[in-house]
Amino acid sequence: MTNVASPPATGAPHVQVTAKRRRSAAPGSQLGPPIALVVLFVAFSIAADGFLTVGNLQTLLDQAAIPLIVAMGLTLVILTGSIDLSVEGVMAGCCLTFTLLGLNSQNGLDLGYWAIPIAVAVGTAFGFFAGWVHVTFKLPSFMVTLGTWSIGLGLATVLYGSDTPKMLDERLLGLTAGTILGIPKSLIIAAIVVALAWAVSRYTRLGRYAYGIGGDEAVTALSGVNVSRYKIGVFAFAGTCFGIAGVLGATRLGVGDVAVGQGYLFLGISAVVLGGTLLSGGRGGMLQSLIGVAILVVLGNGLILIGASVYWQKGIQAAVIIVAVTLTGWSSRRRLRVIK
Amino acid sequence: MTQNTLTSHQPLIELREVNKTFGAVAALSNVSMEIRPHEVVGLIGENGAGKSTLLKIMSGVYQPDTGAVLRDSKEAKLGSPRIAAQHGIGIVHQEQSLVPTLTVAENILLGNEKSSVKMGLMRWSSMRSKARKFLERVGLDVDPMALTEALSFAQRQMVEIAKALAVIEDSGVAPVIILDEPTSVLEAKDIAVLEAEVSNLKKLGSVIFISHRLDEVLRMSDRVYVMRGGQIVAERKASEADEEELYRLMIGRETSSTYYQEDRRVPYQATKPMIEVNGLSVRGQFNDVSFAAHAGEALSIVGVTGSGREELVRALFGSEPCHQGSISLRGKQTTFRSPRHAVAQGIGYIPAERKAEGMVAGLSVEKNLVLATPKVVTKFGVIDPRARTKLAEKWIRDLSVRPQDPKADLGRFSGGNQQKIVLGKWLLSENQDVLILDHPTRGLDPGAKEDVFRIVRDQCEAGKAVIILPDTLEEALGLSHNILVMRDGKITGRYTCDGENPPTQTELLGKMVAGHVD
Amino acid sequence: MSTDTLQRAPLRRITADGNWRSFVPVIVLIVFVAIISAIEPTFIGAPSLKVLIDESLPILILALGQMPVLLVASIDLSSAALASLGTIILAHSLQSFGPGGLLAVLVLTTLAGALNGFLVAVAQVPSFIVTLGALGLWQAAALIWSNAQTVPISTGYEYIGWLVDQQLAGLTVGVWACVVLVILMSLFLYLTNAGQALYAVGLNERATLLTGMAARRTKILAFAISGLSAGLASILLAAKQYSAAPGLADSLLLPCIAAAIIGGCAITGGVGNPLGVLFGALILTVLRVGTTVAGVNPNAQQIIYGFTIIVAVALTIDRRRFSYIK
Repeated sequence: MTNVASPPATGAPHVQVTAKRRRSAAPGSQLGPPIALVVLFVAFSIAADGFLTVGNLQTLLDQAAIPLIVAMGLTLVILTGSIDLSVEGVMAGCCLTFTLLGLNSQNGLDLGYWAIPIAVAVGTAFGFFAGWVHVTFKLPSFMVTLGTWSIGLGLATVLYGSDTPKMLDERLLGLTAGTILGIPKSLIIAAIVVALAWAVSRYTRLGRYAYGIGGDEAVTALSGVNVSRYKIGVFAFAGTCFGIAGVLGATRLGVGDVAVGQGYLFLGISAVVLGGTLLSGGRGGMLQSLIGVAILVVLGNGLILIGASVYWQKGIQAAVIIVAVTLTGWSSRRRLRVIK
Repeated sequence: MTQNTLTSHQPLIELREVNKTFGAVAALSNVSMEIRPHEVVGLIGENGAGKSTLLKIMSGVYQPDTGAVLRDSKEAKLGSPRIAAQHGIGIVHQEQSLVPTLTVAENILLGNEKSSVKMGLMRWSSMRSKARKFLERVGLDVDPMALTEALSFAQRQMVEIAKALAVIEDSGVAPVIILDEPTSVLEAKDIAVLEAEVSNLKKLGSVIFISHRLDEVLRMSDRVYVMRGGQIVAERKASEADEEELYRLMIGRETSSTYYQEDRRVPYQATKPMIEVNGLSVRGQFNDVSFAAHAGEALSIVGVTGSGREELVRALFGSEPCHQGSISLRGKQTTFRSPRHAVAQGIGYIPAERKAEGMVAGLSVEKNLVLATPKVVTKFGVIDPRARTKLAEKWIRDLSVRPQDPKADLGRFSGGNQQKIVLGKWLLSENQDVLILDHPTRGLDPGAKEDVFRIVRDQCEAGKAVIILPDTLEEALGLSHNILVMRDGKITGRYTCDGENPPTQTELLGKMVAGHVD
Repeated sequence: MSTDTLQRAPLRRITADGNWRSFVPVIVLIVFVAIISAIEPTFIGAPSLKVLIDESLPILILALGQMPVLLVASIDLSSAALASLGTIILAHSLQSFGPGGLLAVLVLTTLAGALNGFLVAVAQVPSFIVTLGALGLWQAAALIWSNAQTVPISTGYEYIGWLVDQQLAGLTVGVWACVVLVILMSLFLYLTNAGQALYAVGLNERATLLTGMAARRTKILAFAISGLSAGLASILLAAKQYSAAPGLADSLLLPCIAAAIIGGCAITGGVGNPLGVLFGALILTVLRVGTTVAGVNPNAQQIIYGFTIIVAVALTIDRRRFSYIK
């Protein structure tokens, strides 16, 4: 499946290899998630009334938009072997920023479309800060992003003030309302983000070095790669994604809501893990996370349709995280291995 | 890579009277050597002879204290591996330095992708063809987009060489590739491939080849340098050298000292063995090992890197499961499910890595001392701190630990004193009948070494079986009743030190490094 | 060679076992209180201090539970959520079992903690992931069981009300109970092998494994204690609020971790003591109450907490121990 065309002219023996042309996939889980998705889809089509209607499918796609964007940001961070817990805080901070920059009920600003890049840049700044603290002070990423999660929520709370700020700019509100050719606008935006994220992971040094850092940070550093710089980069990328998600959430709600991000941390991490990206880094990818999001969104949608309480979703997602990580790590257990 | 006009006499690399000292230790003393164009130079010597330091100076990791490094007869300051690469010097390390989850092409070009990146985007077609170029140069026929972990060990090694070539690609000078112990993990068929690879590289530039396998070094090299004690003690043409002479040069004068207290080596009861091992194997590490150690016996296991001896004793301590063979303790067959299980049955283990595994830095002397026997200082589950301190004071006196403060942080003590407490931890227990000492005198000054040997003698007298992995052959010969030699996971020699014909260091070294197995 | 009078190095004794860290929390507390009293002098009056102490109790209990986990260089992100769930379990079990309900809650939360510990120690899953998942599970369980509503505790309240109703020497019984907890924790850590093992495992788990110590079991114990503390916190919270609610204690997570770290427990493990944690909890409460008193926007609290935890960890982490931080 693989051979190089002509034998080398140096006279050294060639050692042929027919290694499969697999990209960085978590071992054994290549086909699992897509199959699970299909099975779930079929199962709910049969078991749940109203699942397979146009209206519900559009709802499904709309429900998937924010999780997809969040998952793209999380995937790049997780590929390096780190984690970013600040999803909900950054989303909140950017949501409030965006609401208050456009025409709104609380202050006199009216920046129109400029509100979008500025609000997203706030997300980038959060990520940049987290990454910088992480590499400069050598603090574990879960700790730093636990902190920035809180800072983000705090920022949102301060901006919120005492009264719900409402978005009044019709152009901004209309960005994600409605559909184009039957597909919700929100999903189109998400699809663009997914495509860009995939391109980053495949065609930029940021993406490839993320795989390298996750696969073996020591080797990557010794090969002359500025690991610190790229680590900051992946967190900034994640912050940008969370910022976009926050803006999207704002346009959907029409108000600035501190709880705009609620639930997306768990949904995001479980989707990434379910899709096959390993928490230890180096394996997985954007497309895998896409499938993971799809599975969980279909699951959530279907569960509601068959009458399960919406609170079950978080529990299932949490269980998915624990079970998936335990199972994929089971074979790496050793008698003397130390995990903290 | 352009072929410069190479005068065949002008050496590619020359070291002139290079010295390198670390603290009080002279790692390299007055080393002068050269690498000529299109030749393979072998570098041999025991552990600690200075080979590794020499390599690190040549590859820019260290800089010489005095003396000069010349590249193409011009002095070169190799301040970092990157600068060394700019001078055309590439190194393939002993431990594989590839990222298993990346493709072959990415690994070859890792850190060097600049020419394949246009406008921030990586051009895979460019990476593929570049990688293919280097793969061809080393003769490896593999899809550049294959996942590195899918390749065999030998193939990955060739990818490493390709990577080294890629790193020095832009230097414009003839490449010098350093191979650090490339054959330690290879099987026979792979070694043939490596040999072909080396002669391939010879056409491109020169190779420096470090190995403890003398037969291979002689087969593959044109010239050989022998190192001992930080100095080059000999240079020979490979075709004119003979293994015997090389061994002797490696060890130097055969020494013996009294500080092993050989007079205290009392014969032991050779009746029932305390611990007996039969056909023990751990996949990939050692195979079919059988031996016995008796009460009062000091048994040394010697071997070079990759011999499997370290893994063997760790298996005896329950650190890894054995997939074949059996272990009997005090005559009864048993298995060790974990170190905890082994300890409970009476095995004590002093690891080679004292700081990482032997002691708990940050805890006081007295707390470290009772780590293995916590119940000794408790009454009804409650610790008696005063009893603990008094116990520690007694052992500090008995083991001559300085300073004599039981509450001081053990991490601050000197290596020798730390090791005494590490040993003392096991001596506290009446249950441990087998003591395994992994490189017990590593990093210790002579006074501390003497103390450790005294403790070993005491324990033998007390009827324990002591298994030692000594740092030097001298230590093995001085301390032990019996010596086992291992090579490549198998036992290649058994010797008795008591009696009329104790083995010589040369004999032992022969079994440790030579290709033939008895 | 051997003498009867042993040379001691008193100065070294202070620096052994990280003792110097114990002084930092006291100093920080005094500084904070001084600054805030300068801005608002009534802050230091008796009624205000009483409120302060009462406010700090739940954080203290959770921080005391976080301490053993931090000692073994792990983290428990789920203890606050478990405490929330605990209040709901308590509301129901007090109704069904009376005083036995207290025991039921404590047993269940301890088991929940032990489960976390099992996954970390035996399945070898990183603690932040296990406890993150547990966090979600307990939140979901609390929401489902209570139907996302506050559950008032009327029947059975008398079994827990004494914690906040009764007073002893001017302070509520709850305060004294916490003092007892601190003392018990100290006794456990310094005078039992299991307690000492926490320090050893945190400083060098590998070495303890090779010594034959029950290192895995020690880790499970650490998480079990955290679970127990969540149960104790839930009892106190339920008593104070006269009710149970999902998410009641969730916001205490960051403060309890910050309290333990400021109190001297480095996340790299092996150092920490209960008295320091007590001061850490006080500092966190002073930070919260005091910043409001000093005129800082109360909405900004979360920002303060976020920065506090980052700074606290940065100052206390032992960088020599890990080479590649993820």
